[in-house]
Amino acid sequence: MPYFKIPKEKEVPLACITPAPVGEQPMMITGNWRIYRPVIDHEKCTLCMNCVMFCPDACWQLNEEEDEVVWNAKYCKGCSICVRECASGALTNEYELNFADGVVRLEKPF
Amino acid sequence: MAKELIMSGCASAAQAAKYAKVEVICSYPIRPYTAIMMELAKMVANGELDAEFIHGEGEHAQLSVVAGASAAGARALTGSSGVGVTYAFETYSPIAGGRLPLQMMIADRALDPPGDFGSEHTDAMSARDQGWIMGWAENPQEAFDNSLIYYRVGEDHRVLLPQMACQDGYFVSHIPGKVVLPDQSQVDEFLPPYKLPHPLDPKHPVSHGPQIRPDQGTIMDLQRAEAMLAAPAVIKEAIADFNKIFGRNYSPFLEEFMTDGAEMVFFLQGAHSMTCRHAVRHLRSQGVKVGMVRLRFLRPWPTDDVASVLSKFKAVGVIETNTSYGGATRGGSLLHEVRASLYDCPQRPLTTSFMAGLGGEMVPLREFYYMAEVMSKMMKEGKTKKNVYWVNHEFDEA
Amino acid sequence: MASVKQITIWARGVIQDKEGRDIANGIAAAADYEGKFTQAFDNYVDLPDRVNVPLRKYARISDEEIEERYEYENANPEIVILTDATIVKGMNVLRGMPKGGTLVVNTDRTPDDILKFVPNKELLKQVVCVDATAICGGHTVDFSGSEGGIDSVGIGAGVAAPILGALVKGTEVVKLESLSKVVQNSEAMLKGYDQAQVKTL
Repeated sequence: MPYFKIPKEKEVPLACITPAPVGEQPMMITGNWRIYRPVIDHEKCTLCMNCVMFCPDACWQLNEEEDEVVWNAKYCKGCSICVRECASGALTNEYELNFADGVVRLEKPF
Repeated sequence: MAKELIMSGCASAAQAAKYAKVEVICSYPIRPYTAIMMELAKMVANGELDAEFIHGEGEHAQLSVVAGASAAGARALTGSSGVGVTYAFETYSPIAGGRLPLQMMIADRALDPPGDFGSEHTDAMSARDQGWIMGWAENPQEAFDNSLIYYRVGEDHRVLLPQMACQDGYFVSHIPGKVVLPDQSQVDEFLPPYKLPHPLDPKHPVSHGPQIRPDQGTIMDLQRAEAMLAAPAVIKEAIADFNKIFGRNYSPFLEEFMTDGAEMVFFLQGAHSMTCRHAVRHLRSQGVKVGMVRLRFLRPWPTDDVASVLSKFKAVGVIETNTSYGGATRGGSLLHEVRASLYDCPQRPLTTSFMAGLGGEMVPLREFYYMAEVMSKMMKEGKTKKNVYWVNHEFDEA
Repeated sequence: MASVKQITIWARGVIQDKEGRDIANGIAAAADYEGKFTQAFDNYVDLPDRVNVPLRKYARISDEEIEERYEYENANPEIVILTDATIVKGMNVLRGMPKGGTLVVNTDRTPDDILKFVPNKELLKQVVCVDATAICGGHTVDFSGSEGGIDSVGIGAGVAAPILGALVKGTEVVKLESLSKVVQNSEAMLKGYDQAQVKTL
């Protein structure tokens, strides 16, 4: 028999020990941090993997079947390190409002 | 010329340090008090304040640095929040027992786990037994005033105790309010320069803190007890002077609001009194005979004032923004002291406590109305049903 | 208790933190000159900010003393101001807005372009767009006044001034004369007022 009434939306796990994120962190979506996004020209891409290595948020991943690198719109913060490090000039920065996709639209920042 | 500005509690506390002409400041960042050090760093950098500004490597280091500075004869200032206050815990007794009247500006923060920025009084209150003068400001103006008053009281040779000038994190420290800044001449008149009786000085060598035997231990403790017994008179003098010089109207220990003809009162300290006054006004206009009593000094606890003021009423609801796990009432710490103060009174009110505002939660008007309802029922039935109500988390609604 | 008019400003962390705060402080100070009761503060949990994170600043205006002063958020903002247009894609900026609100955006696009990204536009009465970046050429990145400190730089070189001008063109929350007492860069503010496009829905 619990001593106190705790509303469902205010529940906190015991000692605030929460399951650790695996793969991605669904409680901290950072795609809405970006003002510019990197756009790739697959013709120019030489698959040097610089973008995959340098991205601080692991937002470029190699798709081995299609043999191309894939961009993660949900978490990319638009830091443009990949654009800077691209060895073949395949990546360029484009203003985020030019694209209808990539909408994150969170209710609360986190 | 007095200037009226709008600034947060952190900024006004930093201004108080400037007017008090502190000489040594030791900083270490922790939110929410960190803005005080940010403002002081700006003032020292552009020459507005002539002080030594030292970066400590932790809160324990902060207190150790200012203890040394104070012992050498400098007016010293530091501060902290939340777990920073508890990190420095080892130093509180040596500083108080060593009679070094330095000041700590504390902007409250809930203690870990897990890392909540919100305000809760437990951090500073956990050190309430060490012999520091302690009290809570309810708005940025009082944060400014308290700092000056505490220096004056603490440095008085009849007291010589360190002080914790506390304010609620975010509610007082970050939300701006109106502050009237005085003239430097008014502050100079109120606060004399710092003069420690036996400072560390190579020309007149002294030793601070040598080893003693157990039979001398009680005597050491008695010295601090004496200081706390002498403090209330010094506080009354200082407040009377303050009111005269700065044109304010503080009562030394307890502030009463709409208590004429009140049958029950809210008893609290800190920021939520600002909302409480509005709740009292609304309840009064609906015919509920309620008032508010605000505690201005936690240490020294004003036992006689609490007894004489609270015994006028039929019911007292102590609002606790702090926790005392496993304590006698299984709630917070203020109710213990209120009941102890009232024990010998021939006419005692019914008392209970309400845990509200914990973790930095806002206390909205409707929670005050709920508390008033609980107290009304208590008065009607003539007895206290429960010692503590965790507001919003009780199963039965009174 | 009189109603409290709530204004929420969304800005980008670090690079626009000062601009967002300037807008909130500017609105509150101007309303103060007009004899209103005001509050202006940062959202506490959005800080400490990281570069580009969306964060909020708040201004609250009332004809009587504001009784519940310790709110953490503005639950029902009548006016929402964005210092960076891309935030429409990232947050539900009209959350909690009562019907008939205003959205003010710093952008070089037209109001229709912005509305494409706002699915709950039925809450809006009007949209105001102004290219504040073109008028001012950048942001003031300065930590002066952050975290409860006192601002010593003023509402000057950055996008806050034109956005305040645009706000007054679309709404009557404060008067232009009161704002000019508070804003250092009046020229930019008046340019913002002139160049703002107001679209009524």
